[in-house]
Amino acid sequence: MDDLARLVAEAEAEVAGAASTAQLARAEAAYLGGKGALQAQLKTIGSLPKEERPGFGARLNAAKATVLASIEARRGDLAAAEAQGRLAAESIDVTLPGAPPLLGRIHPLTRTIQQVKSVLIGLGFRIVDGPELEDYAYNFAALNYPEDHPAFDEQMTFYVDDTRLLRTQTTALQGRTLQGARLPLRCATVGRCFRYEAVDATHHHTFHQVDVFMVDEGVSMADLKGALKQFAGAMFGGDVQVRFRPDYFPFVEPGVDYSIYWQGRWLELGGAGLIHPNILESHGIDSERYSGFAFGLGIERIHMIQNGVTDLRWYLANDLRFLRQF
Amino acid sequence: MRLSLEWLEQHAPTGMAADEAATTLTMAGLEVEETEESDLGPVLNIKVTPNRGDCLSVIGLAREMAAAARKPFIDVAAAATPDGGEAGDLVQVTIEAPDLCPRYAARVVRNVTIGASPEWMRRRLVAAGMRPINSVVDITNYVMLELGQPLHAFDLPLLRGAAIRVRRSKPGEAITTLDGAERPLAEGLLIIADDERPVAVAGVMGGADTEIGPRTTTILLESAHFDRKAVRRSSKALGLQTEASYRFERIVDPAGVVRALNRACDLIADLGAGTPVDGVVDVYPGAVPVRTVTLRLARVSQMLGFDLSADEVQKSLQALGFDVTECEGEALAVQTPSWRPDVVREIDLIEEVGRVVGYGRMPEKLPSGATTQGGDSDLGRQMTLAREVLVGAGLTEVVGHSLVAATPLDDDGGERVAIRTALSSELSGLRRSLLPGLADVLARSVRRGQPQVALFEVARVFHEAPGGHTETLSVGALLHGAPSTDAWRAADRPAPADYYTVAGLAQALCAAFKTEPPVMRRASDARFHPGRSAEIVVGGEVIGVAGELHPAVAADLDLRERAVALELSLADLVAAGRRTMGFVEPSAFPGVTRDLAPRIASDTPHEAVRQAALDAAPETLEGLALTDVYSGPNLPAGARSLTLSFTFRALDRTLTDDEVETAMAAIRAALERECGATFVA
Repeated sequence: MDDLARLVAEAEAEVAGAASTAQLARAEAAYLGGKGALQAQLKTIGSLPKEERPGFGARLNAAKATVLASIEARRGDLAAAEAQGRLAAESIDVTLPGAPPLLGRIHPLTRTIQQVKSVLIGLGFRIVDGPELEDYAYNFAALNYPEDHPAFDEQMTFYVDDTRLLRTQTTALQGRTLQGARLPLRCATVGRCFRYEAVDATHHHTFHQVDVFMVDEGVSMADLKGALKQFAGAMFGGDVQVRFRPDYFPFVEPGVDYSIYWQGRWLELGGAGLIHPNILESHGIDSERYSGFAFGLGIERIHMIQNGVTDLRWYLANDLRFLRQF
Repeated sequence: MRLSLEWLEQHAPTGMAADEAATTLTMAGLEVEETEESDLGPVLNIKVTPNRGDCLSVIGLAREMAAAARKPFIDVAAAATPDGGEAGDLVQVTIEAPDLCPRYAARVVRNVTIGASPEWMRRRLVAAGMRPINSVVDITNYVMLELGQPLHAFDLPLLRGAAIRVRRSKPGEAITTLDGAERPLAEGLLIIADDERPVAVAGVMGGADTEIGPRTTTILLESAHFDRKAVRRSSKALGLQTEASYRFERIVDPAGVVRALNRACDLIADLGAGTPVDGVVDVYPGAVPVRTVTLRLARVSQMLGFDLSADEVQKSLQALGFDVTECEGEALAVQTPSWRPDVVREIDLIEEVGRVVGYGRMPEKLPSGATTQGGDSDLGRQMTLAREVLVGAGLTEVVGHSLVAATPLDDDGGERVAIRTALSSELSGLRRSLLPGLADVLARSVRRGQPQVALFEVARVFHEAPGGHTETLSVGALLHGAPSTDAWRAADRPAPADYYTVAGLAQALCAAFKTEPPVMRRASDARFHPGRSAEIVVGGEVIGVAGELHPAVAADLDLRERAVALELSLADLVAAGRRTMGFVEPSAFPGVTRDLAPRIASDTPHEAVRQAALDAAPETLEGLALTDVYSGPNLPAGARSLTLSFTFRALDRTLTDDEVETAMAAIRAALERECGATFVA
């Protein structure tokens, strides 16, 4: 074995024995660097006879290429192992709790109102707003309440003075909307209502209602039933059945109480009916040509049914332990 | 109304068990709220809607029951009608207020023996919730339950002048009613008087002076039709609601007045309680006209949404006592019974048909008219946007009470809208501010051991104003302490909320509603810390207030840390915002950033420094940010250093160093001149 072959063998042994990329770099410098052993062989070329020079040059280049290939191969292995090691060293306890993002939340009633609005908007209803501090006329007189009638007793009212009151029902907005309205019309309003009620698990002096009404040619009780089925189906999910029971509200005729059959039981939801022709006529609408339906229900009631809440008082109590659950 | 099933069954023999009968009545619109057991068997407690005065009677309910069950209705047997006779000689009836009393009928009974009524009658009265008193009173109550017509018995010899005068009360009159209460009568109430004094409040309660008792021998029985509003007015004026007033307010059949009187006299004779005198005094100045309503068959189907035959429609109405007098082609002429004043137009008849046929037969259709465009209201969208900003900032929404007590925290300087005759201070008026509601939630959360809260509400506030009130949307927020988190690393725990937290919320809201940036101006709102609060000014208008709650307010709430609050008018925010979305073209050229750290007297507000810098800067100034505020040992007392970071950029070119340096020199000079700023070399 000549010097060159011995050098290559030595270099290969050293490369194979390198334990890190740093050690390998030192080996590379020792053999292939400017002052490396193989590089030094280049200087011996001048002492060789002229005819041996090309041959030696070729053998030297081949030797360098061999060593370089070994180094590159070894470097790949070492680098991969070292990267592996670094990743292992950076390992953390992935089971520690995450940093909690600062999340706000909307009130469950807001969420329910948004759901109600979204279903109604999908059915072509325009959401309208009206005052909570309402005119007596819109809350009662415009809704066909007979003057000085016991029907008023059913809704104990907060009066500010003779002409102003806190609306007892979102239906109060019907008059404001029908006045000069372009037909056909589909509207809905959602908001706060007030009645002088003793507060218990199912009554509150402050509550939220949605009132939905449409006026078009040939609107019938059957249309109302169908619209209710669609609305209730969207709100509660699944195929619901709708049932009407006659009831009395001065602003609808026929007037009904409606229930839905949902998850094995009948749930009373609210009042409904065809808008009383007296109301349509009072807004200059031809009640022969046009008819309309109206239905209403409580926002709290919807959320209670959806979530199994049994006490209405939670909604205005604002106990954060309650609010955080929705 | 409470009614034993056996009594109902006597007039509507359906053979139904209690639960079936209850369902049938309920589905006919007469909701049975509960069924109780009694020694007469089941008793139904039926909720009668205010339009159906006729159903406050056994025959009214039986008629409905029979129609719904498609069984015959058995009316109460016709009573004897003794014409002529001497009753007219024994008593003088005068209606002086025919507008309030269309009909007044009376009969006289002699040889009265006041004893106990028979067992069967007493049991029915008890089942109906009435207390048996004596034979005559029990008979009047029994007939009232049976036919719906309230009756009253006077001790005739005690009526001065043997006279009945139906008139309005005069100033200063009073009456002691049967319940022993002496009641002054407001002027103009409908009363029954004899020749000298009031002896009954018409349709409400009789007087003690003419009450029948053990020594009564001769009675005058009253059966009358009083105006519903007159009875309601008396009932409200006296704070007295009776079985009689309840029925009169809901209208009693004017045609049944004499029948009830005769029925009571028959019972008195049958039960040996007295000898009715022949003859009925019946003063009837206001006969109710018969009403005929036209009903088109096509309209019935159109409104109910399904087809019904003429025969079906006719039978349904007849079952309820309506008289179909003509059936010409496609229209019926329907005569409404005297006990159904609530039926006045075609749609009322359509409801009757629907009720009897049953809504169960109605199909479900979908409105098929022209498509309409759905969408949320402007207010709805504005509220949603405000909520998005505050939820995004980590706040929790609450829904507070609109009705509040008048507290200092509610006093925003405006006038309160007060509720008339409030029953409690908590329900005495409408809120002017959202802060009391938010503070209430905070106080309760503190008591529950959860003192750290970040709350907001978007709701309406009310102010009384000359020429009418205002009702406007407001945004309120209240934060106390650091938001509570479960973070185990200090770096993940947010800092406690302070003035700058709420000022930041105000800025975020302004940005979301596209107003110009708000200017914070020191405020003088008594609810806030005078040194740590500000009015929020946008476009020169004050739109709200932000700051630390006044320590006195915080102490009332038992707070350990500083609480900060924000309230601004959403309406003003919307008004100050840009209507349409604008667009600023981003420049393709690089920007240049330069910092400046002027030392300035600590009592010079940042806003003044900022304004001076902005005024001196060229148009190429893209942004100005405050990146540090420093005061400390390296600075003279009373001075602080503000680090301002200026970014310059042009849309059409790369700025040269010269341009930027010139701009910075101008700003520096302005700060020295306007704010007394010094710079470290």
